[in-house]
Amino acid sequence: MSIEVQNITKIFGDFTALKDVSLHIPAGELTALLGPSGSGKTTLLRIISGLEVPDAGTVFFHGEDMNGTHARDRKVGFVFQHYALFRHMSVYDNVAFGLEVLPRKVKPRKKEIREKVHQLLSLVQLDRLGGRFPSQLSGGQRQRVALARALAVEPKVLLLDEPFGSLDARVRRELRHWLRKLHDEIHVTSVFVTHDQEEALEVADRVVVMNEGRIEQVGTPDDVYHHPATPFVYNFLGNVNLFHARVEGGKAYFGDAVFDLPQGQMQHDTSSAMIYVRPHLLDITRESSGKNDLKARIIYINMAGPVVKIELLSARRDSIQVEISQEHFERLRLKKHEEVYVRPKELKVFTQDYSI
Amino acid sequence: MTKSTTEPIWIRCALIGTAIFFLALFLFMPMAAVFIGALKKGLVVFLQSLIEPDTLASVRLTLLVAAITVPLNTVFGVAAAWAITKFNFRGKHVLLTLIDIPFTVSPVISGMIFVLLFGAQSALGAWLIACDIKIIFAVPGIVIATMFVTFPFVARELIPLMQSQGIEEEEASLTLGAGAWQTFFRVTLPNIKWSLLYGVVLTNARAMGEFGAVSVVSGHIRGATNTMPLQVEILYNEYNFAAAFAVSSILTMLALVTLAAKRFIEWKSVVNCHSRSSS
Repeated sequence: MSIEVQNITKIFGDFTALKDVSLHIPAGELTALLGPSGSGKTTLLRIISGLEVPDAGTVFFHGEDMNGTHARDRKVGFVFQHYALFRHMSVYDNVAFGLEVLPRKVKPRKKEIREKVHQLLSLVQLDRLGGRFPSQLSGGQRQRVALARALAVEPKVLLLDEPFGSLDARVRRELRHWLRKLHDEIHVTSVFVTHDQEEALEVADRVVVMNEGRIEQVGTPDDVYHHPATPFVYNFLGNVNLFHARVEGGKAYFGDAVFDLPQGQMQHDTSSAMIYVRPHLLDITRESSGKNDLKARIIYINMAGPVVKIELLSARRDSIQVEISQEHFERLRLKKHEEVYVRPKELKVFTQDYSI
Repeated sequence: MTKSTTEPIWIRCALIGTAIFFLALFLFMPMAAVFIGALKKGLVVFLQSLIEPDTLASVRLTLLVAAITVPLNTVFGVAAAWAITKFNFRGKHVLLTLIDIPFTVSPVISGMIFVLLFGAQSALGAWLIACDIKIIFAVPGIVIATMFVTFPFVARELIPLMQSQGIEEEEASLTLGAGAWQTFFRVTLPNIKWSLLYGVVLTNARAMGEFGAVSVVSGHIRGATNTMPLQVEILYNEYNFAAAFAVSSILTMLALVTLAAKRFIEWKSVVNCHSRSSS
């Protein structure tokens, strides 16, 4: 079932959480709402679920206006960041809850409930822990119980609020792969909130990048990573070097250095362009080619990890981060305090007014 | 435990010793005195003073007052705590402050308020007399005064707990399709039952033991409007010490029994929890 969000505004006291947000979430997809804290992503999720009421705007499920529909009648499964499991109930009772509270006329028989709960518990790989209480489970297990409980009512939409937010790094990675696999099996329209760009890019079919109550960009992970629409998106999705430059006649001037701008970028001249380059898209050479490079001094080298991270200082005392492969680093035999040239392989230009 | 986290032995002894000394001086010795005083003239006198009609009437009245006020204040306390911790509304802080009034006002003043409100000199009191409805110097007045004095206990016990538990479980219940009552009885109530029980025990203890407010509204009519604490005072003022201590000892026993009941139910719940989780 598709979700349509139209012109939603939400204000808490004097804080505007969402400013006129519109969004289409296609049926059957796994969508990530990505943004820093305070960007309004959780508020948007809660408005979709009906737990929060918007000050303006409408939510549609499959074209149907949901504004007058109470959270309990929306048929959404909601998974909370801190699990919100019923602490006084066993795992089994937690999962069965949604079925037990159904009106008598449509409530399944005891045997059917039992079958359904066991089926869900084996789906989340917790079939043998039905008798345990939430306090006896690990964080990852609790989150899986929360998911099974949400799925028990056969929701038309599954909403997850920072589902892996309070887990440690390893369990997080495991669980998000598992969530992706699970989604491929059950194909329910799902939206999850995260502030972790890696998580969003790895798991989601579609990423919605949010900032300060607005949507910055919507696209596939590939799209938002390689073709960021705004400096914010570029910044948020990975490390980035920023150079303030002057643009004239298709060239960017940065101190003594001159860079040719890629075709199609920056038609008009400006004195306040921002050039973004990702650390792995910078190369280091010993000799200058006289063009498209920038003199800098190496001040820090970190070789731990799959790539070598090098920090440099330009003549204008801007800090520059570069990532090169171990092999390349060994070939160059770079040393600390050495003067080298930095050359962007690919760069992205934004002006202050955000146009490309 | 490591050395760095424990105090020297003499400090520990001094702290524990002080605690025991104060407990002995202010708790154990007075309690022992009550039972010794009650049984001083022998078991026969003790029993005789208990089956004395006025005393029996006071026991009946105390039980009646508790039977009315405890359930009503339990309902009120749960409703107030639920509203304050699970919902946002205007005047929430005002309500929170109002709940504390019986704690801050002297019980005698609380009693006076009701005498002024329902007494013959007020307009409402005059109307009540015209309608032949007795509140002051009658059982309804005692019930009202006791309710006023005891109404913060349950709410005060529940509010901090419910605040720390948050509303996520209720929200989860809601998204799973449960209605407000289902959410309350299946999610909220089980999570607060031990604190609620403790609040009820405190309410009950205070309802049975309240002296100041009840003393003002009761009118001290023997065999009719005397509760047990008032009966103790009357007997004491009449130098009938054995009987005064005998009634006191019943009140003390009531306190001990409620505490024992609380301990027992808590122990029972832990046992249940373990047997359920290991199955």
